[in-house]
Parts: sequence; structure tokens; C-alpha cells
Amino acid sequence: DIISTVEFNHTGELLATGDKGGRVVIFQREPESKNAPHSQGEYDVYSTFQSHEPEFDYLKSLEIEEKINKIKWLPQQNAAHSLLSTNDKTIKLWKITERDKRPEGYNLKDEEGKLKDLSTVTSLQPMDLMVEVSPRRIFANGHTYHINSISVNSDCETYMSADDLRINLWHLAITDRSFNIVDIKPANMEDLTEVITASEFHPHHCNLFVYSSSKGSLRLCDMRAAALCDKHSKLFEEPEDPSNRSFFSEIISSVSDVKFSHSGRYMLTRDYLTVKVWDLNMEARPIETYQVHDYLRSKLCSLYESDCIFDKFECAWNGSDSVIMTGAYNNFFRMFDRNTKRDVTLEASRESSKPRAVLKPRRVCVGGKRRRDDISVDSLDFTKKILHTAWHPAENIIAIAATNNLYIFQDKVNSDMH
Amino acid sequence: MEFKLEAHRIVSISLGKIYNSRVQRGGIKLHKNLLVSLVLRSARQVYLSDPCPGLYLAGPTGTPAVPPPQQPGEPVAGPPSGWGEPPPPAGRAAWPEPEPQPQRPMVCHTPGAGSSEPVTSVAGAGDALRGGETDSAAAAWSRVERPRAAASGSGSDTCPEGPRAVRRSCGCPPAREEQPVGDGSPAPPAPCPRKRGAAGVGGGRAGCPAPGSTPLKKPRRNSEEQPSTTDEDTDEEMETGNVANLISIFGSSFSGLLRKSPAGGREEEEAEESGPEAAEPGQICCDKPVLRDMSPWSTAIVAF
Repeated sequence: DIISTVEFNHTGELLATGDKGGRVVIFQREPESKNAPHSQGEYDVYSTFQSHEPEFDYLKSLEIEEKINKIKWLPQQNAAHSLLSTNDKTIKLWKITERDKRPEGYNLKDEEGKLKDLSTVTSLQPMDLMVEVSPRRIFANGHTYHINSISVNSDCETYMSADDLRINLWHLAITDRSFNIVDIKPANMEDLTEVITASEFHPHHCNLFVYSSSKGSLRLCDMRAAALCDKHSKLFEEPEDPSNRSFFSEIISSVSDVKFSHSGRYMLTRDYLTVKVWDLNMEARPIETYQVHDYLRSKLCSLYESDCIFDKFECAWNGSDSVIMTGAYNNFFRMFDRNTKRDVTLEASRESSKPRAVLKPRRVCVGGKRRRDDISVDSLDFTKKILHTAWHPAENIIAIAATNNLYIFQDKVNSDMH
Repeated sequence: MEFKLEAHRIVSISLGKIYNSRVQRGGIKLHKNLLVSLVLRSARQVYLSDPCPGLYLAGPTGTPAVPPPQQPGEPVAGPPSGWGEPPPPAGRAAWPEPEPQPQRPMVCHTPGAGSSEPVTSVAGAGDALRGGETDSAAAAWSRVERPRAAASGSGSDTCPEGPRAVRRSCGCPPAREEQPVGDGSPAPPAPCPRKRGAAGVGGGRAGCPAPGSTPLKKPRRNSEEQPSTTDEDTDEEMETGNVANLISIFGSSFSGLLRKSPAGGREEEEAEESGPEAAEPGQICCDKPVLRDMSPWSTAIVAF
């Protein structure tokens, strides 16, 4: 099924994917072993479960899709792993536990008929590893509009969920109520001009969070300032370039994803044509802007017709915040090195991804000199889009979701972050 | 000129998108529809500000009786089946609200529009427009008639008398076989019935024209605008298949476009007519003269 979200856990040992059918598949990294040096560090399926089912809202005569919009891992606090998964309306907390022992022995008498010592009746015997997943909390009825993001707070007790117009704060242990912390719904819906597109808690400051809007702005909010954070603490907005104005200027400026850097100092945003790095200390404009596929700027009208212009691409930081990555069309994904200012375009496809093959950089030619392996803009396949990508928190391992295939690439040469 | 064509094309695409979003699984996506409505607004601004005068788009002489799932782009050609609507089934252009929702007072002009299909408005849609539609409906109505008059005979269901058909009562059109249900109503000119009255439930039927000042205004408007008929005759026919359906479904969009419609009247005569109609209740808060006197297609653009 079509993969709709990809997320590494905090150690990178587990990788969770959600799909349109409401299923979650978790992969686990095999520990490196000397016996099979070539299979070290590969990801195998660890668990699969059905997270959400299609539902029907009888009051509004609406079907609620089971597609998993986001998965976020909770920091691990005991032997079990926990994650939050959400569809358009309901968030669920899942607990993933392993069972590798089973109690055996119930006979009170042994073979000779003698009563056994009660403490030896039952013992734990090893068994094949079984991964059990159970829903621990269901956070329902918190949202009128479609949930687009969830984010776990660094306090490990609360998390927030954002829909188009509101953001709610939940406690992980309390399912029957949540606090509304942002509400941008206008009194008259006719006055609506922007919606919330993504939101995230700051990685270290449990009182700060950011949300992005369809107008291309970011708002940093401080929960200590007020209970309702409608007034932002900081507004990050870049003035529009008037020379680029078109019918579709507003659509392409809508931010589809926002991610704090691991350091907490920067934010990364993705709009239709660019990725931008913002410094929390500078609201006037981003400090870096990278063109993902500017050659599409002249094709916006046909992309609008085909609905491609509404695609929501995600973006990702590497563990050291030195490289940023995002997806594009034709199963291409792009990486930008912030230090060297070099960028690369790679393709996630079966042909070019035989095990241990080295990915070859690709190039899209926009006229002018065309090299042999270049792809022309007109031959790009817009049905093959890479919307969801994830980067291992510590190593150079990336997970790329290409429609219904998951690719995991490792950089063996440069395994350590620098 | 190209901008206008481009804008028009974008508007029709956008309306199609909004329409299709209704049947999407998972409900209407607020974000996407907001973006589409912003595009509509931009396109509309370009469309309205383009000084090119001759491009006065009128709806094709077909009927909008195609069911929603069909291509919005198809020019509807056939007569609406069984639509004994007094207003000639002048295409989709007519200002919307042939809504088959009995509880809503409606101005129904588009006989075919939405009547044969179970078009139900988006919740709340159209409410804001309801009142104002009367005016625009009237104007739209007159607009609609002109192309019909010009193309009379093109459709078997066309009232041969063109504009005059408007003045017939419901169920009068000679070509009609079926009459609207509640057709016992008197036969004043029925361009802008305020209520569906007895015929309402059937949906989209011009049914019983409500008494009111509007019908009286109709002839005046007609005569005033006859002179400009020729302009419209030469208009290009853009495929606006289900515009009326779309409009009726969406009413006012949520992007505040209605409030912000540009103050651009088209011709002087339109401005003149704003006076008497100003008194009509339930007007939407936007440029009434502009709205009222535009072609249905333009009205659609303005609405969004």
C-alpha cells in the first residue's frame, strides 16, 4: 500500500512506516554480527499491525480515512517501545513489547506422582520471539478538522496534535480531554485566509513550539506566555518576491513541513519549490534557501491541473544538522550540504538500487547542454513522488518512501557523522 | 486577452476541483480548497481587470442537467429531461440555487441545473448568497436569455420566444412535457422566484414564482440589456459545463472572496440598475451592481 509516513525512533534502531490502509510496519535494525559481515545493520520487519480502520461520522455523513498521517515515537523509558500514530481524527498510543519466554509447567505432581515443590511447578522457558502490539490510549474527538501533525514534547508527558485550524495539547495518560492552545478559526469562515499546515515542539524547550501556515509563515509560540497561544512570540516570514508572482504564488508558498534542527537553533521548512533554513533568532527571512526543483516554476499551471502542486513534501535534517534532505518527483530526492553548499540528486528505484550498489547522482536538464544520463523536465514522472523521507538520528542511514516501496540507504563509507 | 483566457481556464479547473472534492473520501480538505479558492480569486482579479471588452462570456445554450460526476467541461447540449421550467433552460449560466433543498428559499432559474441530479449543497454553502442571489439571479437570468434568444432553435427545449418565455408561468414552455409539480401558481414572469413554493421539493424548479418586485423589474432589465445582446452573441463559448451546479453547491467560498470582490462594473447600464435593486433584501455584502449584472459565468467567478 502507499506509504504515508516514515519515522525513525530516537536511537535509530527501529523504523516505523504508516500507510494508506491504516497499517503500521516497524522495521528493526539487525545488530552487526561478525558472522555475516555483509548483512550488518540491515533493517528487517519487526512488527506489523493495523493501527486505524476506516470510520464513518454519521453526524456529518463523512467517511474518515484510515490513512496514517503521522507516526511519532515516544522516548523509550523501559523495555517497551511506544509510538503515537494518527489518522485524520484519532490519535492512538501503541505499546510494543517483546515476549521471548513463556511460562510452562502446570502439573503439581511429577511423573512419579510425587507432589512437586510449588516453587518449581512453573518456569519460564525460552520461546520464539514474539512482538506484541497493543493500543494503550485512544485520543479521539479532539479535532474537527483533519489532523496534519503530532509532536511529542521533550517533557515526555505531553504531546500536541494540530489540525487545519487548531492545535491541542494532550497528556499522554489522559484521553478524555485536551487543551486547545492555538485556534485560528475565524468567527466567520468566509474570512478564512490561512490554515495550519504543520507543527512541532522544540526539541529541548518544553514550552516552545512552532507551527507553519499555508501562507508560508512560521509562528513560534511560548506556552508560558498564555494559555491560548494565538499570539505568537515570533513570526518568521519572508516577503514575497514580486517578480515571481503568478496565479499560484500562494499555493507554492504554503509550507508543507517544518522541522527543528537537532540543536534546536534552526528550523527547516519545505514549500513547493524550495527548502529553507531559518534561524530562531532571525524572523525577517531564512538564512538559507535551497531550490529543490526550480525548473517546475514554469509548469505550475499544468501541475495545478494535475493536482501535483498540492503535494506535501517533507524534509529532514541529518543527525549533525549539516545536511538537509527532501523528496521530489520521478522518485528523485535531494540532499543539500549546508557547509559545502553542494547538493545532489539521487533516485530511489529498483533498477538503481541493487543491494550494495552505489547510487549515481542524477541531473535534470532544463535545456542547454544535455549530458547522456540527464533527464529532461518533460520526461519526469510526476506520479512517482517522494513525499516522505527520514534520516537516522545518528548515522548516515536514510529511509525513502517511494509510493509503496521503502528504500533504506546507508552510507557505509562515511558512517560517522561529520 | 491571453490573460483572460488563461484566467478563465484556471477558474474552470478550480471550480472542477472544488466540486470533485465533495465526493472525495475523507471529506473536504480545508487546506486544498482554501488554496484553490485563492487561485480562483487571483484568476478572477485578472479576469475582471483585463480591459478586453469583447470577452463577455455567456453560458452555452445547453442545459446543465448533467449529473455532477460528469465532466464539468462538457458543454451540456441536450435539453434537461423533463424540465418544464418556465425559464428557458438556459444553461448553467443562470445564477445558481436550483437547489433541491426545500427548506431553503431559493431563486431558481436554472431549470436543469442540478434538478435532475441530487445536488446537495455543501453544508452552509449558499446561505450567504441566498439573499443576494435574487438580484444576481435576475441579472443572470436576463443574461442567460440573451444567448438563448440568439440561439433560439438550437435546442428543442428552448422556448422559442426567448426572453419572453421568462414571463410565462411555470409549465408554460411549449416544448415541455412535464410541468413542475406545484404549478398552480399564477403566471407572472418568473425569473426570480424567491421561494420554491409548492414546486420546491422537486428541486430546481422555477416552480412558483414568488410575488415581489423582482418580476416587475425583469422586463425592464430585459429591454435595457437587449442592446448589448450582440456583444454576447459573439462570445466564445467556454466549456463551463457545470458552473451553475458548482456555484449552487458552494455558494460563497470561505476565503472571503465575496467581501473582497473588486468594484468593477462593466457597463454603465449596469450601474443604473443598481439603484432599484439595492432595496432587495438579503444582499451579499459585496459590490452589488457588479454582481447583479454580470453574466452568469462572471458571476461564478465573482462568487469565488
